[in-house]
Amino acid sequence: MSTKRSMKYCGSAEHTTLSRRSFLGTTAALAGGMSGIAGLSNPAIADTIRKNDKRVIMLWLAGGASQLETFDPKPGRPTGGPYMPIPTSVPGVHISELMPKMAERLHKYTAVVRSLNTKDGGHGGGADLMMHGRKNEPNLKYPDIGAMLAHELGQADSEVPDYVAIYSQTEGRSNGGLGPGFLGARYAPIILNEKMELPFVKRLESITELDHRERADLQKLMSQRFLKGRESNSVASHGTAYDRVSGLMASDKLFDISQEPQKVRDRYGPSMFAQQALIARRLVEAGVPFVRVARAWWDSHGQNFETHSELVPELDHVMSTLLDDLEERGLLENTLVITTAEFGRTPKINASLGRDHFASAWSSTLSGCGVVPGAVYGETDEDGNTVKDGEVGAGEFFATVFEALGIKHDHELYVGARPIPLVNPGIKPIKEILA
Amino acid sequence: MRRAIFGYFVTAIVFAIFSFVSTRASLLAEDVIPSNSSIQDAIDFSIDGELNRAKRKPAEQADDANLVRRLNLDLVGRVPAPIETTQYIETDDASKREKLIDQLMSSPEFVDYMADRFDVMLMTDTNASLRDYLKTAFQENRPWDQVFRDLLVPDQKDEKQKSAREFVRRRAKDPDKLTVDVSSLFFGINVSCAKCHDHPEVTDWSQDYFYGMKSFFNRTFESGEYIAEREYGLVKYTTTAGEERDAKLMFLTGKVLDEPEYKEPSNDEQKKLDEKFKKIAEKKEVPPTPKYSRRSRLIEIALQKDQNQFFARAIVNRLWYQFYGHGLVMPLDQMHSENPASHPELLDWLARDLVAHKYDLQRLVRGMVLSKTYSRSSRWDSDDRPSTSLFAIAIPRALTPLQYSRSLRLATTDPKSFEGIASSEELQKKIASSASSGNSKYFQQPTIDFQVAVQESLYFSNSDEVRSSYLNGGLFNRIKEMKDSKQIIETAIWSIFTRSPTEDEIDILTKYLVAREDRHEEACQQLIWALLTSTEFRFNY
Repeated sequence: MSTKRSMKYCGSAEHTTLSRRSFLGTTAALAGGMSGIAGLSNPAIADTIRKNDKRVIMLWLAGGASQLETFDPKPGRPTGGPYMPIPTSVPGVHISELMPKMAERLHKYTAVVRSLNTKDGGHGGGADLMMHGRKNEPNLKYPDIGAMLAHELGQADSEVPDYVAIYSQTEGRSNGGLGPGFLGARYAPIILNEKMELPFVKRLESITELDHRERADLQKLMSQRFLKGRESNSVASHGTAYDRVSGLMASDKLFDISQEPQKVRDRYGPSMFAQQALIARRLVEAGVPFVRVARAWWDSHGQNFETHSELVPELDHVMSTLLDDLEERGLLENTLVITTAEFGRTPKINASLGRDHFASAWSSTLSGCGVVPGAVYGETDEDGNTVKDGEVGAGEFFATVFEALGIKHDHELYVGARPIPLVNPGIKPIKEILA
Repeated sequence: MRRAIFGYFVTAIVFAIFSFVSTRASLLAEDVIPSNSSIQDAIDFSIDGELNRAKRKPAEQADDANLVRRLNLDLVGRVPAPIETTQYIETDDASKREKLIDQLMSSPEFVDYMADRFDVMLMTDTNASLRDYLKTAFQENRPWDQVFRDLLVPDQKDEKQKSAREFVRRRAKDPDKLTVDVSSLFFGINVSCAKCHDHPEVTDWSQDYFYGMKSFFNRTFESGEYIAEREYGLVKYTTTAGEERDAKLMFLTGKVLDEPEYKEPSNDEQKKLDEKFKKIAEKKEVPPTPKYSRRSRLIEIALQKDQNQFFARAIVNRLWYQFYGHGLVMPLDQMHSENPASHPELLDWLARDLVAHKYDLQRLVRGMVLSKTYSRSSRWDSDDRPSTSLFAIAIPRALTPLQYSRSLRLATTDPKSFEGIASSEELQKKIASSASSGNSKYFQQPTIDFQVAVQESLYFSNSDEVRSSYLNGGLFNRIKEMKDSKQIIETAIWSIFTRSPTEDEIDILTKYLVAREDRHEEACQQLIWALLTSTEFRFNY
């Protein structure tokens, strides 16, 4: 964490503010072996650098959901398909009839962006782009949004995981390009595919709880002796990783929805997507900053309307239930729900009654924390082929997410001493939907 | 030791006399590294000189046990077996350090370990490995310029060097990546900033540099299992001012290369040529070498006498980073005029020396680990810690997955199994085979500012694999039979930390064992676990 850096890198005008991260780095070094923030005795400093308690749940519609069958219907056009639009609680705004619950709640929770042009219509490239907000440089791997938010919102010594990605519908699909990039393994997602539990959080039967705890204490004692006179962030991070073990082991219960009252479970319903959304709610409630729940597989090259007649009502139910639940618990004020995918689907209906990959004019939504509920931003043409108004890319969408969470979109991360803004320089957030 | 202190004393006096006229910009004759120095003396001369100018004292030299551990990790990729450390301590020979270094560097483990380090350096994020090639290269101590040549323009007919192709082949689809990686890895310059705009502050970097470097690679492409190169093709780019330009074939020094006259083929001709290449790929044949190869010209120019400073400095800095934990220039790919080295004269001296000795990397490595700068303690007990770039204190470095997994195995082997082996060769073989790599998928490659992930601590805390692989092995079987706590503790600390336990450690650990007299075996396993997962074992300190 060097403070002299101005001459080293490109980027120019963006590198002006003292980043909180470099400040944190300094204070952590001062605090030495203790976990950075907890070790601070000066309340003024502690308050300045206290991380905000914002959280994010991302509903990831893997494969690419159709904007026409969700948030941007085109009734009466050749591209419109069989489903009708219905009015929403926001005067003049219509969405697909497959989403009656969200239609009722639009004014309460959700801002819709109808003018995404993200240009990459491949699953891999599109997923990378919509998880990172930009393309990698040849030899710089950017962190994904979960890692960036784990970094910005998580506590160094947190007792809960700070980035969880759930994706059960494997069908041969990989997790896409999830990863912490240059932020390093500390911010890697904990990926849950099959079992809804963290790896290695259960104590082996061969050791008692007491011995498990006391051998950890013994290790810590030995390590502290070594740490004397050898203070560095890297060396200290070893102890931090072990300090988090007992908390994470206790957080195992968060993944167990049988801990929820039956009433709550019934409300979410029996589908896997719904149950995972409930896990996500339990996690953010306990302070996990970023959870992604992926629902697959929306890639309806054939029989688009059958696929969507199944998947959209489920999305409608899960998204509305999740938002209601968060709202009732007072969590929505600080929780942003992002509903997005790698891209949308072609307005043109192909010969197999399918819709293909389409990244040039599609929709995503932001609900809850920091956004203007009921706002609709941007417009596509009458058939939905192009963006007519308010074109934005992945970068603008990400900048908006950061601002909604109270994080400056041009805030900088560091690769060594090199400052890298959260979104590429020059990208602006969509002010119109920010509260 | 006395000589070292005397040395400081003399330099300090020299410094005191001249400091009022001395500045970094104008070096005194006394500050110039004598050209006939050994590498280690040149390093210490420069580092100590800078410490004196900064009025700082370095940390003490590390003790023998610490040094043996560091050398083993750095040269053979594992901790020492306890017997290696005790033998070294007991040896009364002024040149024992040199002898140990030579012994380690001549072992197969050195080849294996260095191949791993260089493979990680050269091939991260490519899903391919150069390990086979690199093993041969380190086995023969192939000069670094030769390695560079082998990787950039491989002899594709030589099946033995098959893996060398992968460096270019895995990047051939993305000429921008090939350009940036070659510039960063071999020349210490990340030109990617200059792709979109002239650098605002670094005059070294304009767009011409990126596209000039890219011109060496724009004709290269993947052809089945091989790489091929066309004899035509220009790089065009648009300047930030909107002007269209043809890139010149230009090296990072700004040197523009003359090229033989040629005509870009017509579209029809290009199609025909493409067809020809397609057939070659279909037949799985080695593509023909172009009469004029731009890639070969890069090697020629980069190694030319008045142009090779980038190439030599970059590898010196990368090895310095590997062995000292912090580059003479940081970051490693920002070696340009606006980001000078902490010790510019030393970097230049080492680069010149490397060129003068035919890019002999082993000679350089040997000098680096023989220096007093290398063998300092990593501990600094007073408050006023000298800055990292003064190299006054050794920097603890996180173990690589290979170092960690091999060390875990070796440290949990029965220490008695190394005793009574008369031939030192046999002993080395026995140790090497005990240090086999286990599962390392929960360990990450250390990067700059490395942070240990919670996935690792959870794995060690609760996986059955850790219990069965490390807590149930030879060391456990040995100590569980022991009745005396002190003996158990000494054996465990020697096996895992390869040093003597301190009094306090004996107290702390004895208490732990005594409280568990009713479950002696479990107590022994927990003791091993606590030492094995401690911060001390996780780092090369």
